[in-house]
Amino acid sequence: MSRVVVRGGDLRDGAGHHGRHDLYLLDGTIEGLDLGGRVDLEVDAEGNLVTPAFLDLHAHLRDPGQEVKEDLASGLAAAAAGGFGTVVSMANTAPVVDDPGIVADLVSRSRAIGKARLRPAAALSRGMRGEQLTDLSALKRAGAVMITDDGVPVADGRLMRSACEYAAELGLVVQTHSEDPSLRADGVMNEGVVSQRLGLPGNPDAAEAVMLFRDGEVARLTGARVHLAHVSSRRGLEVAAWLKASGAPVSVEVTPHHLTLDDEALEGFDPLYKVAPPLRTRADVDHLRRALATPVIDSIGTDHAPHTLAEKQRDMLSAPFGIGNIEVAFPLLYTELVAAGVLPLERLLWLLQDGPARVMGWGAPRLDSGHPADVVVIDLEAVAAVDGGKFASKAKHTPWQGAELSGWPVATLVRGELAFTR
Amino acid sequence: MGTAAAVSTAAVTQETSPVSTTPKPARHTRRHLIDFQGWQPDELMALLDTADVMAQVLTRTIKKVPALQGFTVATLFFEDSTRTRLSFERAARAQSADVIAFAAGSSSLKKGEGIKDTLRTLEQLQADLYVVRHPAAGVPRQLTRWTDAAVVNAGDGRHAHPTQALLDAYTFRSALAIKPPEGAPLAPFTGRRLAIVGDIEHSRVARSNVELFTKLGAEVVLCGPATLLPRELAQLPGVTITHSLEAAVEGADAVMALRLQRERMSSALLPSEAEYVARYQLTERAMRLAKDHAIVMHPGPINRDVEISSDLADGPRSVIEQQVANGVSVRMAVLYTLLVGKR
Repeated sequence: MSRVVVRGGDLRDGAGHHGRHDLYLLDGTIEGLDLGGRVDLEVDAEGNLVTPAFLDLHAHLRDPGQEVKEDLASGLAAAAAGGFGTVVSMANTAPVVDDPGIVADLVSRSRAIGKARLRPAAALSRGMRGEQLTDLSALKRAGAVMITDDGVPVADGRLMRSACEYAAELGLVVQTHSEDPSLRADGVMNEGVVSQRLGLPGNPDAAEAVMLFRDGEVARLTGARVHLAHVSSRRGLEVAAWLKASGAPVSVEVTPHHLTLDDEALEGFDPLYKVAPPLRTRADVDHLRRALATPVIDSIGTDHAPHTLAEKQRDMLSAPFGIGNIEVAFPLLYTELVAAGVLPLERLLWLLQDGPARVMGWGAPRLDSGHPADVVVIDLEAVAAVDGGKFASKAKHTPWQGAELSGWPVATLVRGELAFTR
Repeated sequence: MGTAAAVSTAAVTQETSPVSTTPKPARHTRRHLIDFQGWQPDELMALLDTADVMAQVLTRTIKKVPALQGFTVATLFFEDSTRTRLSFERAARAQSADVIAFAAGSSSLKKGEGIKDTLRTLEQLQADLYVVRHPAAGVPRQLTRWTDAAVVNAGDGRHAHPTQALLDAYTFRSALAIKPPEGAPLAPFTGRRLAIVGDIEHSRVARSNVELFTKLGAEVVLCGPATLLPRELAQLPGVTITHSLEAAVEGADAVMALRLQRERMSSALLPSEAEYVARYQLTERAMRLAKDHAIVMHPGPINRDVEISSDLADGPRSVIEQQVANGVSVRMAVLYTLLVGKR
């Protein structure tokens, strides 16, 4: 028996704004409001937002094999610190998550760790080599909720089609990394006037648009639920909007960095800003931001992609792609979008709660009794500077170092237990 | 570190050597030459004026001055280059600086030592200035974050090769006897036109010349096949692009041909060398459309009868050899200005 009260917070979920209440959690589920009685733990939420913990369908936790960048313990702690109660981990590890034994191991180790819940994704192709299908039914039985070769585009259309046929039959979500490899070529940043000025190999928006179109058409052909990950460009988003309007069973994800940074960030040749797909132009960022309020975008996924500082201090051509951001995602988006008056709070929350749940076919997270006791308490007022040195993630370097943000999670409860407190 | 680091001049530490007339400034006051961002036209012209003085030095019987005595210049070449490295080393030694040469062959790069670790090792040698060449754009800029020494970019990927552009501007200025027009001292190249022909996409020389010449007031016309001529560059002020060699050359004060790499054919950027030669080879005949006094430049090394015809390369319009000679004076001026000069 474990009973918790989250006291005096301002309660919101996808069903609406419920006002100021004490929220009681009992044995991992939500018990009800304002019940009173003895508790084992009291969380002070006076003056703060209380809302279902966020769902991240896209995080690179680097476990197994790349624990120097991140591991399950640091990654799940970082997720909880960012207000996330559930994380879908990507499969581009070493070895690749292409074997049911690895999935089962991730599931069991994550349960022992606690913190955020882990729902692993498995690879679409063996070794993520883009040649041979993985055993999707066995991977699903072991606990995989999604299949994806994220990090590496699936170049072969026929393989993509076969994976989607299987996924449709098994009810698995397919997540794409939609970039045409031959058009993307050796690009390390967005192709445009900035890349030309800097003399860095460019990756054109057409590489994304072309592959989104193929992936959407394969979704339509097969009926598979295809989640178009990290759509980064205006052209890409227009293709995705067209696919959705024409009935393809696709959903669309955008990331915190593509919503807040543009290609001019590369002016200083700092590989910290090297990410795939690349940071686009200010016009693309503005387009993505406007689209957030429309049904074209279904979810915000972090694409948290930690690397070591040494890797990120290599040269621009050889440094790896990826930005670690899971701990700043909400404060960043809250500050730049909600506090700035660009997006209503309810919509931002929806894109981190109901949106991703719907993509996965999971129940909408609610603060009603009987629901999982995954709750985040957020201080929307206090402003604090980002300090990467204090991240739970192993990647302590961040593009937003020193940025003054509000909207910091102060406590995250998962399964009714305190997974994070500031 | 798996690389050859050779001390090529007898080490003279600053404690034991008498310092040149100008006191050595504290290391943190140094500045860098990465590209021309932050450089004003008058500072750039002053550099070219200093190069004039250095050129005089190189005509003396004793081609050496003590201007940089006690300073150590380290050349860090992560990419093969003989000409540029020799030019810098000559420029340093002609001013009595000590020179340390670090050359990382491609194999040692693959051993995976990061640039920061390489720098950290070399920092122990107490160089005052690094001359850096690297196949990746941005490395010289990255190094400025980790050292107090001055950094001179000797070519980084496709990004920049500022001393090449300076020597081109110097050559251009001397060959055309350009004096700043009255009333526009900050745009001394106003009304002048430079055409650059060839593989613009992959050329750091082209990018640096675009930056420098437009900053000095010139018009720059870029010319080449569409696969090697990024249209985005037309958005830069003072730059126009064309796919017609005739249009590029017409009315130009100087035309620069760029080296065509053979690998462009295998990467589907060009159908054949013959096709390129037919459309873009710079010839005496094509130059008839340029101004009468127009000069022909090439950053070298040249592919004779590919991007430039032999008759033109060896003819009276060619300043290709002057470019190489001027490279030493210009690099002397750069080293001097960054190490002891006022800016």
